[in-house]
Amino acid sequence: MLKSTHQKIPLPEGWTEHKAPTGHTYYYNAATKQSTYTRPVAAPAPVAPVPPPATPAQSFLQYQAVEGQPSAGAPFNSFGPGGQQHGGRGGFRGGRGGHDRSRDSRPQPTDKPISRHAIPDNENWFLVHTKLGRRFVYNSAKDQSYWRIPDKLKDGILALDQQRIKEKAEALAAPKEAANVPQGAAQRPTMAAEAPPANAEGAEESSEYEEVEVTDDEGEDEENPPKRQRTDEDAPDEPVEFNEDDIAYQLAQMGQEYGLDPGEYGDETMEGWEDGQEGMEMTEADSNALFKDLLNDFGINPYSPWEKLVEEGKLVDDLRYTALTSMKARKEVWEEWSREKIKELRELRAKEEKKDPRIPYLAFLQKHATPKLYWPEFKRKYKKEPEMRDTAMADKDREKFYRDHINRLKLPQSTLKTDLSALLKSQPLSQLNRDTLPSHLPPAILADIRFISLPLGIRDDLVEDYISTLPPPPESNDDEETEEQMKQRQDRERRQKALEDREKHVAEQKRQQRRNLEFGKGRLREEEMEIERAMNVSKKGLQGHLMEVDGA
Amino acid sequence: MPAIRHASKRKAPPAGFSDIEDDLLIFSNKMKDAENAPTTNVPRHQVHWPIFQISHQRSRYVYELYYEKEAISKELYEWLLKNNYADKMLIAKWKKTGYEKLCCLRCVQTKETNFNSTCICRVPKAQMKEDQAIECVSCGCRGCASSD
Repeated sequence: MLKSTHQKIPLPEGWTEHKAPTGHTYYYNAATKQSTYTRPVAAPAPVAPVPPPATPAQSFLQYQAVEGQPSAGAPFNSFGPGGQQHGGRGGFRGGRGGHDRSRDSRPQPTDKPISRHAIPDNENWFLVHTKLGRRFVYNSAKDQSYWRIPDKLKDGILALDQQRIKEKAEALAAPKEAANVPQGAAQRPTMAAEAPPANAEGAEESSEYEEVEVTDDEGEDEENPPKRQRTDEDAPDEPVEFNEDDIAYQLAQMGQEYGLDPGEYGDETMEGWEDGQEGMEMTEADSNALFKDLLNDFGINPYSPWEKLVEEGKLVDDLRYTALTSMKARKEVWEEWSREKIKELRELRAKEEKKDPRIPYLAFLQKHATPKLYWPEFKRKYKKEPEMRDTAMADKDREKFYRDHINRLKLPQSTLKTDLSALLKSQPLSQLNRDTLPSHLPPAILADIRFISLPLGIRDDLVEDYISTLPPPPESNDDEETEEQMKQRQDRERRQKALEDREKHVAEQKRQQRRNLEFGKGRLREEEMEIERAMNVSKKGLQGHLMEVDGA
Repeated sequence: MPAIRHASKRKAPPAGFSDIEDDLLIFSNKMKDAENAPTTNVPRHQVHWPIFQISHQRSRYVYELYYEKEAISKELYEWLLKNNYADKMLIAKWKKTGYEKLCCLRCVQTKETNFNSTCICRVPKAQMKEDQAIECVSCGCRGCASSD
C-alpha cells in the first residue's frame, strides 16, 4: 500500500527511473547527469504572496496545539505500543532542519497514533487508531497501552465501532458539497499556516518523500498537506486533552484514592505540605527511647563495654539503629541505658529471694550420691558438674552435706518418712497449701537434707498425699503495675510507628529523586542522539545537501 | 592479671562478679593474644602499644562500672583492683581534674623526658598545629587531653 501510493506521483521533467543490478530503483537526470536513489519531486511552483515562515518556536507551538492527543509529560515517549518517537514528526522539520530521522536504512513504515476515542462505560480507557490503520487500547490511569484488547473492553469497542460505521454511512448519504464546505472552512486557517514550512523545505521534501500517508479512504490523498489536516480533523473528537496541569491533577487524585499524603507521591515542594503530612514527628526523646528499645530487644548486656557492642555489630542491621545519627549520641544513650538497666537489675535481684545454692546441690546429691563413694572420690568423679563448681557454696559445706546425706541413706525408711512428714508439717500455710504444685515446693523444703533422703517415687507420693489434705491458701490480693505496663507498651508502639513513617517518607523522596534523574538523563540522551544525527552526514545526506544547493 | 591460686585456697569473688566475668574474660583473652603476637616487622617502640591499650581499656571498664554506672559494689571493685584486673594507679589519676582521660602513666612522667615535659599526647588538640597527627611514643595514644 505504501509503495502503491508512492508510485503514483509522477517524476519531474528530465528524470528517468532505472533499476540497478542490485535491484534498487534509482533515478537519473540526463540533463544534469545526476543520479539518486531517492525519488525526486518537482520543485514546487512558487506560491503567491505567503507570509514568511514562522519561527521554529512558533511552528512548534502550532503543531503542539494540533497534536494534543497523547497524554503529555514524561510518559509521552512511550505512548503507543509501537514505540513511536514524537520527535520525528515531519512538522518539526521546518524549524529544525530536517535531521530528525535517521534515514541510513530503508525507511520503515513508522506508525503513530492519529486519533483517540474514549471507550464508553470504561473510564480511563481509550481506543487509539494509528496511521497504519492499526489500533490499540490505552489506559490513561495506568498510562499503559496494549495491542491486545482486554476482554472487558470488547463490548465498549464494539459499540464504538458501530457508532463509527453509522456516522460514516450518514456522511456518505449526505450530499458531498454540504459536508465539505464547513470542513474546508475550518481547515483554512491551519492550512495557511502550514503552507510556508512545507514550501520552504522544497527540495528537502524529496528525501522525506518515502514516508507517505497511509489512509483508510483514498479521497483525502489529494489534499495538500494530508498529515496536518488529518490530525486536525481528528482533534475535535478527542475527549480529553492532557497537559502538565492535568497530569498533576490526575496524580493528585490517584494519590488521594490510595490514601496517600501529598508528601508521599511527591510532585509538590515540601513547603506546600500541611502539617502532619510528613508522618508523625520524632522528638529527640523518641529516638533515644527507640535506641533503648533496640538495646533491650537484642538482650545487650548492660555490663559490657561499649567497644564490645560496636565490634559485634549486631545492632547495625536494625532500623532503629538509625534513629540516632551520630556515634557519639549513640554512646551517650547507651551509657544512660546501661546505667538504668543495671539499677533495674539490681533492684530486681534485691526483690527476688536469694536463690539458695543448696537446692541444686541437694538435687544433684539425690541423683548421684551413693554410699559406695567416699567424698574425695565423689568430688573427683563429678568435678566438672556445675553444681560442684558453684562458687556460691563452699567446698566444706558440700562435703558436709555429702557425708550427712550418705549417713542418712543408711537409716531405716520409716525414720526417713517421719522426718519428711515433720518437715512438711513445719511449713506455714502460706508457703505450703492445697494449691501448691509438687514441682514448685517452697525453697525451705527443697534446701533441707531430710527432703532428699527418700527415693524419688516414695517421696513424691508422700508429698502429694500431704498436700491434698491441706486447706486452701489464705486470701491475698495484689494487682498493680498492669496499667503501667500497658502504657509502656503503647508508648513503644507509637515510637515504632513514627520511625516507620519517617523511613517510608525518606524512601519515597529517594524514589522521586531517582525518577527525576532518570528523566533528565533520558532527555540528555535524546538530545545527544539528535546532535549525533545532525553531525552524521551520510552519502544520502550529502546528496540531499547538494540538491538543496542546486534548487537554490 | 590475678595470680593463679589453688582452687582449695581460692576465695569466691564478691557478688556481682558473674555479671562482668565474661567481659573480663574477653579482655584477658585479648591481652593474651597481644602478648603472643609476633613482633617482627613492628618498630621497636611500638611493640608494647597494644598491651598498653588493652590495659587502659580494661581499667577504664572497671573504673566506669564503679564510678560512673555504679554497677558494681565497693567490695567487688576492691577485689578487682586487688586481683589486678585494673590499674589502680591509673585510676587514681583519672580522678584528678585535668587527667580524666590519661592514656598511661608513662605519658605524665616528666622525669623520663629530655626537657622535663609530658608526652605530646597530653597537648590539647586546640594548641596543636593543624593537621598534625600524632601517636605518642610510649603507648600510641593519639591525644588524651581532657579538653579534647
